Amino acid sequence: MLQTLPMLHQPQKSWMPRLAFAPHNVAPRGDTLVVIFLRGAADILNMVVPHGEEAYYAMRPTLGVARPDDSGKKKEERVLDLDGFFGFHPSMSALLDAWTSQQLAIIHACGAPDESRSHFKAMELMERGVASVTSGGPASGWIGRHLATLNTGNSSPLRAVGMGTRPQRSLSGSVPVSALRSIADFHLGGDPRALQQMRAALNVVYEDDVLGQDTLSIMDTLETLDPNNYYSPFTTYPDSEFGLALKQTAMLIKAEVGLEVSAIDLGGWDTHFTQGSTIGLMPNLMKDLAEGLAAFHTDMADYMNKLTVVTMSEFGRRAYENGSLGTDHGHGSMMMVLGGNVDGGKVHGQWPGLEEGQLIGPGDLAVTTDYRDVLSEVLSKRLNNPATSDVFPEYQPVMRNILT
Amino acid sequence: MLTRRDFLKLSALVTASAALSSCAPVYRRLAGGLPTLPWTPLDANDFLALNRLTFGPRVEERARFAEIGLQAFIEEQLDFESIDDLACNLQLSIFKTLDMDANEIEGVTNGLFDGYDRERPARELRQATLLRQIYSKRQLYEIMVEFWSDHFNIFIEKEPLFYLKTVDDREVIRKHALGNFRDLVWASAHSPAMLVYLDNHVNEKSHPNENYARELMELHTLGVDGGYTQNDVMELARCLTGWTVKEHFWLGEFTFNNDLHDEGVKNVLGLAIQPNGQSEAEQVIERLATHPSTARFIATKLTRRFIADDPPQEIVEKAAQTFLNTNGDIKSVLRVILLDGLALAQPKYKRPANFIASALRLTNTETDGALDDYLIRMGQLYFNLPTPDGYPDRSEPWQSNLMPRWQFAFELMRNEINNTKNNLNHLLDVASTGILADDVDSLTSLLLGAPLDRLERDGLIASVHSADSTPEETLQILAAGILASPAFQWR
Repeated sequence: MLQTLPMLHQPQKSWMPRLAFAPHNVAPRGDTLVVIFLRGAADILNMVVPHGEEAYYAMRPTLGVARPDDSGKKKEERVLDLDGFFGFHPSMSALLDAWTSQQLAIIHACGAPDESRSHFKAMELMERGVASVTSGGPASGWIGRHLATLNTGNSSPLRAVGMGTRPQRSLSGSVPVSALRSIADFHLGGDPRALQQMRAALNVVYEDDVLGQDTLSIMDTLETLDPNNYYSPFTTYPDSEFGLALKQTAMLIKAEVGLEVSAIDLGGWDTHFTQGSTIGLMPNLMKDLAEGLAAFHTDMADYMNKLTVVTMSEFGRRAYENGSLGTDHGHGSMMMVLGGNVDGGKVHGQWPGLEEGQLIGPGDLAVTTDYRDVLSEVLSKRLNNPATSDVFPEYQPVMRNILT
Repeated sequence: MLTRRDFLKLSALVTASAALSSCAPVYRRLAGGLPTLPWTPLDANDFLALNRLTFGPRVEERARFAEIGLQAFIEEQLDFESIDDLACNLQLSIFKTLDMDANEIEGVTNGLFDGYDRERPARELRQATLLRQIYSKRQLYEIMVEFWSDHFNIFIEKEPLFYLKTVDDREVIRKHALGNFRDLVWASAHSPAMLVYLDNHVNEKSHPNENYARELMELHTLGVDGGYTQNDVMELARCLTGWTVKEHFWLGEFTFNNDLHDEGVKNVLGLAIQPNGQSEAEQVIERLATHPSTARFIATKLTRRFIADDPPQEIVEKAAQTFLNTNGDIKSVLRVILLDGLALAQPKYKRPANFIASALRLTNTETDGALDDYLIRMGQLYFNLPTPDGYPDRSEPWQSNLMPRWQFAFELMRNEINNTKNNLNHLLDVASTGILADDVDSLTSLLLGAPLDRLERDGLIASVHSADSTPEETLQILAAGILASPAFQWR
């Protein structure tokens, strides 16, 4: 005779571990954070162009984008002035609305202290949020640690989502993370009758299981969502992987499924060869980025007060163009922050200049704002997480007042 | 028993067919196949023990366990080389890169040949890993292969590990998985894949790189609280300068380059190391491999894997002592943990690969093992963790990502996965009485060890009742529901 029979809803011993790690900070949910990583080291000097710098044009005879007032060039080939010194690449024009509505801030000459100029290493360090490989530090990602150190009372399996085939390194940590190529990944597809039966069986076996019930309710919500039929009355997302990722982020936010962080990758920025000045490879990437962000900004207008979008890249590129009409690995980069509580319409940070003696290493833009300053401010001001020293160990952030 | 001639014939048959799935049933039948026996309910403790000794017990393993008992079952599994594994090996024979050296693997992927496919070595290794977990009869050995693959984790996506990891898997992990720990860590330290993964290939006198030296002590041997200092890391890194990998002739082979080696006297863990080239680090490795902190660290991790997330201290101590007494004999340590520890076992949440393998094993599923999409969504694609600490072994990190497990259970039981076919009908044919409630009892007994309480069983059956479904369809859904249930997620 058997002593104990198995039960569907629990393991064979009644002891069941759950969330052994108790976050030490408890706070209500803050903004939803969308982190966009431009993989491959974006050439930010051609995105937010320092058109007031003589040296920029001297170092980029082919790739340089003409001054806003350069009457020798067509209008669509000129920089779109932002503040008399910097201007958007013309392919970024879609972002002018967000800029003029002061919901978009730019932090120029921003980046990490690491000077390895190695994609793999720089991305790893930035996603882990540590200064150098030799300094050790946690192997988990900065977003993962943010989620692990803050208890928002939210156990949704979609608390953090990495858009793409696998979750970003920045998300790794003790909190589980879902990789979502498509909202359809969260559907139980198939024959409707079988589906209904399966749904009923799941309801029975997860009857008294919180995580199971959460997952079931999200499943029910998402069953009704189809990104192919998503309609926003105000805007159209670009027909690209990036546009789809933003669209799905918007859908998850509107569906209120507990999304706190969405991480999105936009790759292809490693432009050593023929990157293009105003047309070509990199202008197309900029257009995808800007139009995607602009569509998201428009679509999510009613949610902007509870939303912060950050763009980042592992490092910048050489100030000089190379012999193949491209640019090599550099140092200083640029971040953009978009949201309803941003001190926007402004280029933040100290501009180090592009003159001889101002560049560092083999001819690279210096870093005057550490990326962790920006992220720490987002964490403490918008995500209600005071534990920035746990997220960025051994780093003392400086508040740059990019957010209100 | 198969003759050698039969074996060659079968090998040729398997090799000739690119579409594994089409010939799988044929050769499995020829090779003896997977027997289908009736099964009887198991005591909960026995089912749990079997779940720790296998990736999910098949009916023949249940029968064997019932026949010879726990201790003899463990001994049989520990003596893995005596277990005939022909059927599994036949399935793997189409993966040509598994037996190649690094130079060859790089060769077949470098574009000079037709059918250039850079993804192939990693794909074959991943497929082979899952197939072994499902079909190998050397289950405990495969569990240890998985354990050491985590312990000596390597991220195959880092350049150029796509052609080095296969060699590490074969010559380091599989070669020593149930051997001696000193040989294992020695092999790992000389493994090009490990040296590249943890940057020792660029550890030079003029630019020391501490990465591997640190992880060798922190993650591979002593453990983070094992009593070493930052200075020990730096000194061991100096010993390891010049340990690198050949880049041109004999590409991907280990080499020691004396020109890059720091020739000064070093001091590691209080021991002065006189200048002696490659032997300096080897001297330290010998010491690390048998250090009391290492014994404790390895004993703790093994006990966590087999017994409980929070390992019982008395088992850890006994295992650590055995480690020291036997100079790191892995079988001896395991014997202690299993024989003394299983009675103290606590539920552990199945990691994704374990969930998949157990579902496939228990339902006698035939598959080509190409299930990366599911492993990615569940979060445990093999050899894909960037950090050197290995996929977490504790239950908590895995518990909230349920959706892909449900999808897998549903799609598996409805035979909607490519090249993957469950044999539930065939299994139940053996046991069926034609009465649904009895079949459900058989099913839960198969998947969970014993039948459900009658009330719970009837509730489950009632929930999926549909007048339009055939009994076969209803059983599929019930099986999927049980595979998706919390009970099946724990082992």
